[in-house]
Amino acid sequence: MDGGTRFALNGQMTHVNGVPPDWTLLRWLREEGWTASKEGCAEGDCGACTVLMSTPPLEESAMAWRAVNACLVLLPQVHGRAVITAEGLTKADGGPHPVQRALAESHGTQCGYCSPGFTMALAALSLDADRSEEAILESIAGNLCRCTGYRPIVEAARALPSWTPALDPTIEQTLRALTAESLAYTVGGQRVCAPVDLDEALAFRAEHPDAWVWAGGTDLGLRITKALERPAEILALGRIPALRGVRETDKTLELGATTPYVEALAAMTALAPSLGALVRRIAAAQIRNLGTLAGNLGTASPIGDGLPPLIALGAKVVLGSLRGERVLPVEEFVTGYRQTALAPDELILSIRIPKPSPNLHVSCHKVAKRVDQDISAVSAAFVLGVEDGRVTTARLAYGGVADRPKRATGAEAALLGQPWTRDGLEAAKAALADDIAPMDEARGTAAYRRLVAANLLDRLYLETTETTAPARLEAL
Amino acid sequence: MTMPPSPLTMPPSPSASPSAVHVTAAHDSALKHTTGEAIYIDDMPLPRGALHLALVTSAWAHARITGIDVGAALALPGVSAVITAKDIIGPNDIGAIVPGEVLLAEDLVEYVGHPIAAVCARDEDTARRAAALVTIEGAPLPPVLALDAAIGDKHYLLPPSVFLRGDPDPDLARAPHRLTGSVRVGGQDHFYLETQVALAIPGEDRDMLVHSGTQHPTEVQHLVARLLSLDMNAVTVEIRRMGGGFGGKESQATLVAGIAAVAARVTGHPCKLRLDRDTDMEVTGKRHGFLLSWDVGVDDEGRILAVDMTLAADCGWSIDLSPGVVSRALSHADNAYFYPHVRLTGLYCKTNRQSNTAFRGFGGPQGMMAAEAMVDHIARTLQLDPVETRRRNFYGPGRDITPYHQTVEHFRLPAMLETLLASADYATRRASVDAFNATNPTLRKGLALSPVKFGVSFNKPEMNQAGALVHVYTDGSVSLNHGGTEMGQGLFVKVAQVVAAVFGLDLDRIKPTATTTGKVPNTSPTAASSGTDLNGMAAKIAAETIRARMAEQAAALFEEPVEAIRFESNRVFAGNKSLSFPELAEACHGERISLSSTGFYRTPKIHFDRTTNTGRPFLYFAHGLAVSEVAIDTLTGEWKPLRVDILHDVGASLNPAVDKGQIEGGFIQGMGWLTMEELVWDKVGRLRTHAPSTYKIPTARDVPAVFTVELLADAPNEEATVFRSKAVGEPPLVLALSVWLALRDAVGSLAPAGWVPPLAAPATPEKILMACEEARRA
Repeated sequence: MDGGTRFALNGQMTHVNGVPPDWTLLRWLREEGWTASKEGCAEGDCGACTVLMSTPPLEESAMAWRAVNACLVLLPQVHGRAVITAEGLTKADGGPHPVQRALAESHGTQCGYCSPGFTMALAALSLDADRSEEAILESIAGNLCRCTGYRPIVEAARALPSWTPALDPTIEQTLRALTAESLAYTVGGQRVCAPVDLDEALAFRAEHPDAWVWAGGTDLGLRITKALERPAEILALGRIPALRGVRETDKTLELGATTPYVEALAAMTALAPSLGALVRRIAAAQIRNLGTLAGNLGTASPIGDGLPPLIALGAKVVLGSLRGERVLPVEEFVTGYRQTALAPDELILSIRIPKPSPNLHVSCHKVAKRVDQDISAVSAAFVLGVEDGRVTTARLAYGGVADRPKRATGAEAALLGQPWTRDGLEAAKAALADDIAPMDEARGTAAYRRLVAANLLDRLYLETTETTAPARLEAL
Repeated sequence: MTMPPSPLTMPPSPSASPSAVHVTAAHDSALKHTTGEAIYIDDMPLPRGALHLALVTSAWAHARITGIDVGAALALPGVSAVITAKDIIGPNDIGAIVPGEVLLAEDLVEYVGHPIAAVCARDEDTARRAAALVTIEGAPLPPVLALDAAIGDKHYLLPPSVFLRGDPDPDLARAPHRLTGSVRVGGQDHFYLETQVALAIPGEDRDMLVHSGTQHPTEVQHLVARLLSLDMNAVTVEIRRMGGGFGGKESQATLVAGIAAVAARVTGHPCKLRLDRDTDMEVTGKRHGFLLSWDVGVDDEGRILAVDMTLAADCGWSIDLSPGVVSRALSHADNAYFYPHVRLTGLYCKTNRQSNTAFRGFGGPQGMMAAEAMVDHIARTLQLDPVETRRRNFYGPGRDITPYHQTVEHFRLPAMLETLLASADYATRRASVDAFNATNPTLRKGLALSPVKFGVSFNKPEMNQAGALVHVYTDGSVSLNHGGTEMGQGLFVKVAQVVAAVFGLDLDRIKPTATTTGKVPNTSPTAASSGTDLNGMAAKIAAETIRARMAEQAAALFEEPVEAIRFESNRVFAGNKSLSFPELAEACHGERISLSSTGFYRTPKIHFDRTTNTGRPFLYFAHGLAVSEVAIDTLTGEWKPLRVDILHDVGASLNPAVDKGQIEGGFIQGMGWLTMEELVWDKVGRLRTHAPSTYKIPTARDVPAVFTVELLADAPNEEATVFRSKAVGEPPLVLALSVWLALRDAVGSLAPAGWVPPLAAPATPEKILMACEEARRA
């Protein structure tokens, strides 16, 4: 078949040909005159370009629709998907969708620039029946409004009827067929390879070690939209079924490398509620619907929120190449500032997280200027075991306090075997000072980070001792 | 005399249709916003041959430019031109108040982000890539990168401004208590969701049509004409709607429109400049940061006897609108409080950063923050009740002269205070906050009240004028145009309501149309909360002019005195006779009666002497009060708003839902300014927070779970404003000071009574935690 991307846009099959593979969906939509979706930031932080995108089901079930930021989705990622923009939400008779009517009637728009994005975020909310305050806030956590103060938008959300997008069965069949095929094309000297077969991907990786390895693209995409980099080759992994999914045993949770956060959230919450709460705060829905934990790991940022819990829980990463597979502890995988042990011919295949035994306390923390959709000043994950008043397990991992996410081994040593008391806590805090080396930057000074890193151990102590008073603001 | 076009009919009950004002009506574009049908400038189809622009900006905070090499950029396929200062036909000057601010830097750059050149290319992507290929050579000069350094070196753009009343020094010297203190408040990026944009289209006769995302079309027209050496009648500036403005598109829009217009003239092609988010934040000005210092004398009961205050503004590299901003800061540094003897000094500090500009409140919030920080200082130091201390210092009979010598009339706060304390259950909650703080090991709560008294009218009397143009067509539909711009605040619907009320028509018979300098000339910016006061009144006058003509014709048709004619329910009545409005319009046309009129309004009573800084700059005051409760985590400095209760005075509201939207939105925006919105520059003067990934404005979760906003009931404006309403755009933003004060209250609970928390703004988690550390040491 000829090159390009085929997808259903607002109910019509569309073939985009001759457009470079690093064009975002937003850029293409606006060039084509679909101008409801706005560019507010081009980095997935404002939600003004939110659209609904279908995701092929893992099994033979209904198509899943999810809100995504069109500014972060490359055209090849849309191949075989269906996309709905605010223009496509209007009913066949031209009348507004219930979401649109509710937002307008509740005075949920003022300048209106964010409104198509909020419309689509709330359309995603209306796919489910849950209208709890938490569900509403979750659904719009990735959308910024500078005018209304949000109250009327939340009010509009409360009474939304449930809704399922209609998709013509013939189109759905076409999309399912496209999903099962590999995709590869070159436009303007830029090549995309999006195979369905893992070996094909490993072969391409071996031959083209400089190709950008693309999973969700929520971090890598900014190199295109912000830094104006132009990848010569993109290896997109999102079409490979073998890399997607959650596998569980009694002892381990294994996440395929391209499993977006949204599909892993329930299992991670079950593994440790505090971990689930942290994953929610990694980013808002639009990002969690695309982004992956493996991507967070591959980026190896010192402030990657997913990494401290992986390190504290003793997770391992499975790497694959044509040469075979190998398994590394996450701690060893990250070798420096945005540096990893990944070989030029390797891909991350999955992440294996051991399930903590029930007598261990797992406690995750994220400290930032804002609760939702912010980057941490400090993050932390603690796994603590106390038997007969003495610490038997202490794995303390931090983000934002060094050139990479790391364990506080000195503090761990100070705790192990000692009574879990205020004195023990103070000894650990003292030892922590030598474990970490934070720096000054826009999200916080080194002094602040040191103080918070130590104080989070106080919070751990409060949470694991007899006090019943709330220890976190969320409880208020 | 022709006969009426249809038989006279019995009227339907005129009372069936409510008046169009004092009722809730949706924003005129609400549904179009949600469907995407509403067109913003970036959504407009481009004319044939249109070019896209991208800016080349300074990487230095201060440097002499020694060379510009555009060769590599021009060599890139798709690039047509690179515009520099040399291409500007007229004077290279877009100074809004004081001339001397360049459109494009010539030999000197004064901040990181200072525009030097603009690349014109066939698409935006090519333009941006080419812009990165332009090389600038320069010789760095020493920059001033901190407000403190500018204050220390008296590095001023203008001489200080002083407001003086009485003689403060003797009373300061003999006051029972004399307190000195200071607090720092940061700036704020507007973060309008729609970034700055303009599309300039050259026409015949060297005419230029500019679609500009501007709050001030006349200024863009004036300055584009100057840049292009054209008469103003050759330049038309049009704007249907902006995706937010907040003051950021008052003077700053001229930069973008000016560059687009110069490029369009040079290339002969339509030229569009839309700033991407990072460029927008790096290039354009923001709210002024301030260092606010006071020296205050008080009696034992906390009553202020004399005040000497200095408000030092970080103006950035150029004057821009800073004279107005500092003047408004000084005229609001009293907030709601009477200062028997007072000296207020405003400093125009120059730093090598973005040129700070208008932002919702226009200096007023910073001035009021000085007052609130000072009163908090007094109450805490003397261990007095903070609400009682505020009440004691309120303006009142015999204590009613402001530092600019205007008499405070119709002061509503004392009565409003009693109402809000009761509805917010203040006393009970004060006790429960204290009880919580006595028991929780690491979390603390804080509770605070703050008032707002906001002067309405532009401080500059000559700006308080407006024009409108109203047409009635023969089918009875009405076209409405005025000098105000729509940026989301609901101006268009409010003014349409005014016109609908004059004609007794349903709101959907009135069509608001795009603001254009070709219809209503010589306008003031849509700013200073004045949009409805000014344009609503001008439109009312225009509509009333037409209605008077129509009434005469109706009187003739009905053979009734003109005084008997009523316009209601889409009809015209006299006694038991009536015509539909369209029928009367048709009849007027048949009689060759004009159905079109301009309207012009100038605010009465106001005057201000800028040499003595005295007069009556404000027609009236808007009032508000808020009680905020917050919680902080003393281990991390994280915080959370728990409950906010607001009572706000909008006079007789034209549209309660729109007004409530302004109050809620303004409050949350103010809360962002005072808490999470932190602008960070690095050591070489680069702004490090230039996108939403690093600059955090509030999200839905940051809104308090209990957020009660009430409009003051039965409170028509004593002044003859449009249907006795009051302005609402800016005043509610300042209510957010109550959140900042509540955070101070929470931090203060960690220390012994009498201690004053050193908590500046924005009160980020880091600043809160560091203040907690200080408290623990106190």
